[in-house]
Amino acid sequence: MSVDDRGLRELISESQDLQSDALRDARANASAVQEIGASRRGQKPDLDKTRHVNSERRRLLRNGGFGVSALAARGLLGSAFGAAVLNIVARPAGAQEDVDVMILQTAASLENLAVATYEAALTLPFIKNGNEVVKAFAMTTMEQHAEHGASFNSQAADLGGERQTEANPKYTPIVEEAKPGLDSPLKVVDLAATLEEVATDTYLANLSLVQDAETRTLFGSVMGVEAQHLAVLRAVKALLEADAADLIALPPDVAALPAAAGSVAFPEPFEEPDMASPPEEGAVQ
Amino acid sequence: MTTETAATNASPINTLEAPASSGLSRRKFLAVSGMTAGVAVVAVACGSDDNASGTDPTTATTAAAGGSTTTAGGGGGGDLAIAAGAAGLEVLAVNTYGAALDAATAGDLGEVPPAVAEYATTAKKNHQAALDAWNGVLADNGESEVSDPPADLETTVNEAFAEVTDIGGVAELALMLEGIAADTYLDAQSMLEGSDAKQLAGSIQVIDRQHIAILNFVLGEYPVPDVFQSTENSVL
Repeated sequence: MSVDDRGLRELISESQDLQSDALRDARANASAVQEIGASRRGQKPDLDKTRHVNSERRRLLRNGGFGVSALAARGLLGSAFGAAVLNIVARPAGAQEDVDVMILQTAASLENLAVATYEAALTLPFIKNGNEVVKAFAMTTMEQHAEHGASFNSQAADLGGERQTEANPKYTPIVEEAKPGLDSPLKVVDLAATLEEVATDTYLANLSLVQDAETRTLFGSVMGVEAQHLAVLRAVKALLEADAADLIALPPDVAALPAAAGSVAFPEPFEEPDMASPPEEGAVQ
Repeated sequence: MTTETAATNASPINTLEAPASSGLSRRKFLAVSGMTAGVAVVAVACGSDDNASGTDPTTATTAAAGGSTTTAGGGGGGDLAIAAGAAGLEVLAVNTYGAALDAATAGDLGEVPPAVAEYATTAKKNHQAALDAWNGVLADNGESEVSDPPADLETTVNEAFAEVTDIGGVAELALMLEGIAADTYLDAQSMLEGSDAKQLAGSIQVIDRQHIAILNFVLGEYPVPDVFQSTENSVL
């Protein structure tokens, strides 16, 4: 393992400065959102918005979104499990609920789960005492997810909704079930990559579900970061699978990297939202 | 998950005019996109059911270098103007990666590691697919496909490329281009009207951001330095 510890710490320190700047920018429009939230309090939910979300939900379902194509690929669409999942994701948003708030709460639930998962991973000996770059990535990514969750919750609160402090109800049992079997960095990376892909796809789907431009930009902004987490995890996974963990270093030995390291992070030219969580999946009950 | 079929699946985007308050500097973007004076961005029928803005669908936009005017007789041109601008950026990316690969083949960049060659080849293909998708949108709406990069940006890139002597220099240049593209796609989210256009822009933004992560890694930088993606490099 060739790790430049001081260099890595400096890079992460610079990263944290950038994070603070970005957070300031992201929250710059908070007062405008709060005004919208204040104007919504006591008001009936926007039926046009609910209709828009339900229309978009149908479109995404037709195109295999919300995990439908993933179910199909695994031959589960006709099974009882597939039917149960379809029943959940096909359920239209209720007119009595503020859809934007539900979408933000579901996003926060995914972020809460990501934080908990990275936190748990950092207690595993082969992560805690393992590759310094992997450990630093887990710590930094956990902090970034915490910032994302706080931002989604702030936006939900500004719109008059409750903050979501719980982890996502669909994926939490899956993570809990996986935890006892996490006996290698590869399995941890695989699990984290799945969560990052769910988050990326959810925020991509939200781009056409959310009508408020500020909220849409927030989702796009966070999506751009989760997509990078996913890219890094794919590359790390490929190196681990190739028994080349020593190449996971900063700076890397670029000449020694296998050719696949240049393409494995983006297997296709377009991302599709087929692992997206539907709006109400993680909404506060 | 990702797919190569986004271009073929994409129905014609909604061509509703972006709201005047959206902050879109169409004059600047059209200049960047290489669209010249007198080029009309004419709206045609749209495939999206997203008409929530209440904008009059019979309104079309004629965009010119000196500004934009609204004329009767079509839909709107906001999304199509962004599609054309995005296509121009993709042309520039395809051309730049192509030039880098040519230079590498000619031995002008020194030793080229396999991972870097693979990255450049894949990134070029990704941007070609994105270009094809945007041109498909334009063609579906009766517009001319874009084959030229934005002139100003092309000049800047060409000048920078002339100074490049090694793979590190190419990676820095690619990082700049990917940053411009990704930030522009994010910025476009506050302006686009059509659902398909929002999805297409987002689906490409994801890949561009992933290119950036790998370029950061290759350059020895932390691959995910930002908590939030910003729009600071957007050309909108």
